[in-house]
Amino acid sequence: MRISTNTIYDMGVAGMQQATSDMVKTQQQIAAGRRILTPSDDPVASARVLEVTQSQTLNLQYDTNIRSATSSLSMEDSILGSVSELIIGVRTEALTAGDSTLTDQARAGIAAGLRGSYQELLGLANSTDGNGQYLFSGYNGATRPFADASLGNVVYSGDQGQRLNQISPSRQLAVSDSGTDIFQRIKNGNGTIVSAAAAGNGGTGIIDLATVTNMADANLRQPVSIVFNNPPTTFNVTGAGTGNPVNVAYSSGSAISYNGWSMSIKGAPQAGDTFTVQPSSNVDIFKTLGDLITQLEKPIQGGTATTTQLGNSISTAIQNFDQALTNVLTVRASVGTRMNEVDAVKITGADLQLQYQQTLSGLQDLDYTKAITDLTRQKATLEAAQQSFAKVQGLSLFNYIT
Amino acid sequence: MSSYSIGVSALATAQAGLLTTEHNISNVNTSGFHRQQTVQSANVPQYSGIGFLGQGVHVDTVKRIYDQMLDSQVQQAQTQSSYLDSYYAQIKQLDNMLADPNAGLSPALQEFFNGVHDVATNPASIPSRQAMLSGAQAMVARFQAINQRFTEIRDGVNSEIRSSVGVVNSYAKQIASLNQQIAIAQGAAGSQQPANDLLDQRDQLIGELNQIIKVSMVKQDDGSLNVFVGNGQSLVIGAQSFAMGAAPSLEDPERVEVGMSYGGSTILLPKGSLTGGTLGGLLAFRGETLDPAQNALGRVAIGLAQTFNDQHQLGMDLNGALGTNFFNAAAPKVINNTSNSPTSSLTVSFSNVSQMTTSDYKLTVGAGPVATLTRLSDNAVLFSGAALPQTVDGLTFSAMTAVAGDSFLIKPTTNGARDISVKLTDTSKIAAAAPIKTNAMLSNTGSGAISAGSVNLPPPPNANLQDNVTIAFIDATHFSVTDNTTATVLAASVVYNPAAGASLTYNGWTAQLTGAPATGDTFTVGTNIGGVADNRNALLLAGLQTQNTLAGNTTSYQGAYSQLVGLVGNKTHEVEVTSKAQASLVSQTQQAQQSMSGVNLDEEAANLLRYQQAYQAAGKMIQIATTLFDTLLSLGR
Repeated sequence: MRISTNTIYDMGVAGMQQATSDMVKTQQQIAAGRRILTPSDDPVASARVLEVTQSQTLNLQYDTNIRSATSSLSMEDSILGSVSELIIGVRTEALTAGDSTLTDQARAGIAAGLRGSYQELLGLANSTDGNGQYLFSGYNGATRPFADASLGNVVYSGDQGQRLNQISPSRQLAVSDSGTDIFQRIKNGNGTIVSAAAAGNGGTGIIDLATVTNMADANLRQPVSIVFNNPPTTFNVTGAGTGNPVNVAYSSGSAISYNGWSMSIKGAPQAGDTFTVQPSSNVDIFKTLGDLITQLEKPIQGGTATTTQLGNSISTAIQNFDQALTNVLTVRASVGTRMNEVDAVKITGADLQLQYQQTLSGLQDLDYTKAITDLTRQKATLEAAQQSFAKVQGLSLFNYIT
Repeated sequence: MSSYSIGVSALATAQAGLLTTEHNISNVNTSGFHRQQTVQSANVPQYSGIGFLGQGVHVDTVKRIYDQMLDSQVQQAQTQSSYLDSYYAQIKQLDNMLADPNAGLSPALQEFFNGVHDVATNPASIPSRQAMLSGAQAMVARFQAINQRFTEIRDGVNSEIRSSVGVVNSYAKQIASLNQQIAIAQGAAGSQQPANDLLDQRDQLIGELNQIIKVSMVKQDDGSLNVFVGNGQSLVIGAQSFAMGAAPSLEDPERVEVGMSYGGSTILLPKGSLTGGTLGGLLAFRGETLDPAQNALGRVAIGLAQTFNDQHQLGMDLNGALGTNFFNAAAPKVINNTSNSPTSSLTVSFSNVSQMTTSDYKLTVGAGPVATLTRLSDNAVLFSGAALPQTVDGLTFSAMTAVAGDSFLIKPTTNGARDISVKLTDTSKIAAAAPIKTNAMLSNTGSGAISAGSVNLPPPPNANLQDNVTIAFIDATHFSVTDNTTATVLAASVVYNPAAGASLTYNGWTAQLTGAPATGDTFTVGTNIGGVADNRNALLLAGLQTQNTLAGNTTSYQGAYSQLVGLVGNKTHEVEVTSKAQASLVSQTQQAQQSMSGVNLDEEAANLLRYQQAYQAAGKMIQIATTLFDTLLSLGR
């Protein structure tokens, strides 16, 4: 085949340019540490890199959110811990105050101690986080949730909202609990029904905690009242489901059972004394504590209160403290569960982070061994092209014409 | 006598050969040069009694070693190659711009949503809110910067089109002038001898013209070439050349198109008729890549702004007011055709950004007036001969003032990235909270619970959204719903199944009731004023990052942007590969052509020796003839 002189030059130069361009490309890849220098090098991987990078950034953001959630939940957990200790403390005090040998002064001393606990509880319920937001006010973070109008009469100004935190793509975790749910939504009695002695009772009848014997009884939650006759050896019962029996014989401490519940009355009631069984309702912890303090501050020796009233009050208070403690512990258990979940999600997030890193690395990182081998080969190619070109272009018949 | 004449003819022929060889050697580096050869043949012999006696030699012609097929193959390959090279040079700019993972839109988008997450975590914190606003501003600036680069590239393309047209015109003039010279030269020779070097020059010019724009040629009897562009528009006819011109398109005055200039006015060539060459590459790049890429970026911007605004309007800010628009978003761009009636106008707005495409649209008006809409990406007719309003592809064509024959170009997303901006400046106006909250009464005795409630899309929110609403259980399986603010009974008695719960939708909100409420249990829904620690709307806003809100709810903002990067990357890759293949085709055809027509110096050196020896031999012949004559003369002494 005829080869024109220009072709020899053109092809030699083209070969060297190609070799140089390949070598420079490899050199750039090595310098950047990336296989993909521009999207055109691998369009599919480039688009994928962007999406994986977003997932990775988002995952890091979830990690930040998780840290924030952990901090909020730990704070709530520690405050709920203090609240439950406080409730255990006041319950013990209430038991102590039930000792009938105590003097009015001794009871007043206990009441003074309880007033301190009352203020402490109010302080805990109005706790704030690091940003000055109230922990237990629901969405109204700037509103002081619990205000003390008078002893035992606390008004809640927050709402029932729960603050949420996005800890994973699909999970919004509650990082707060409303003050209502912790301090107010506490059912009195046994949580279903509550037994009580009327405040004006003159006798020494003390009512027991009613227990539920048949949850399925249709009339379980019907209000029932027991009124003692004259003479107080019998009583009348009124209330749906009881059949309204009259002149039931009374014996101290023996069981009185209607509508799927059972309870007893001890002591000697007077004619006209009234005892009731009602469905449970919500009594907030402040009211329970306030009522107890008010009762303890009434002197018995002075005659404004009776030992029986004190006994009935303390019995009610202890029931309610138990309910309150159960309630706080339930919320605290839920907080603990959430903290466990956060920890689990955090570990998953860390695993994901590693996976994203590996995916990204696989998509765009350079195989250095291959790249450096390539570079060496390309350098050899270029040198060979240069040397062979120099040899070929030196050949000419004119060299031999003299 | 004949010894001398034969010797002289040999001498002259050898000299012609030497001259031609020297011409070849001196033009070894002249581009477009085809090597030349003398064609020689024996003179007509003289008859004598002893047969025919040779009469020496003469040169028939100086021939150009030229194969039209090989040369036109090179031209074809080159016009395609320069088309691809020019396309590649342009698209490479986009490719490089999108190359750096730290400089594209993605990091700014992610920073912004990280800011939204921060607000969701600390809804009442002013620094978090400020960070979100700053993130939004940075993201908007990035949109605008990328768009600015698109615009610069477009301006560059427009100005290159103008200058290419100038170069085409200059070539056309030179070719016309050479046509004239060739016709004269070949005519003057009388014997129709080819004007080899002029032909080389003209072929070279046509090759160079082909690199700018693909042309077709028809050879004329007088040796001139007529040159045509596009669908047969004459560029050169004999010695006359016509001018091409660049002028703003009628449909879109910001767009420079190419046409033929006749007497001061430019008649634009139909779209797609100019192919090949750098000019074809520029036009193809603008239509196939630049416009769709800019539209795709605009779609991300508009989609983001609109969907974010929609959700933001359903929230409540720190001051207790309902959210406003967070971003300013672009409106669809409508361009009146230059030939429209001056009072014509068309109103287009976005109805559903998730249905937006990246295409442009053309609306033509018929008598009535009725409208026909064509989507330009696939030439699909979306509605034909219809009266407005019409809603297609997420666009509402609400009204027009037009006469039959008018047309409008609608570019819905082209300005999206340019016009996006952050509307909010006050950190307290970020609507992180939901405007409503729910409440279960403390006096409730049943186990019923109500969910936190959410506000229904789309905005604007219901006028009674924040009214105080009571849901009261008449008995365990029936409840009533009352709006206390307007004293309206929304539902007197709704059946409730405690096992299944119920979803309540009133006044533009939705909440779920679960559990077993007891008779008399009451739930309320009402305004969330003061809910500064509420982050429900901020969480919904943050969730938009990964939600599939674009392209018919198939992709997220990031996904749509990745598509753009993929589009540009794929096209660049395709053009790069094709361009390389084409370059090697050019190289092969050039080798074939050069193998035929190129100068080989070794060959020419051999030819020099050949003709030198022939010349020396012819000289010897004359010397011998002289000696012979001397012999005759000496006989008489």
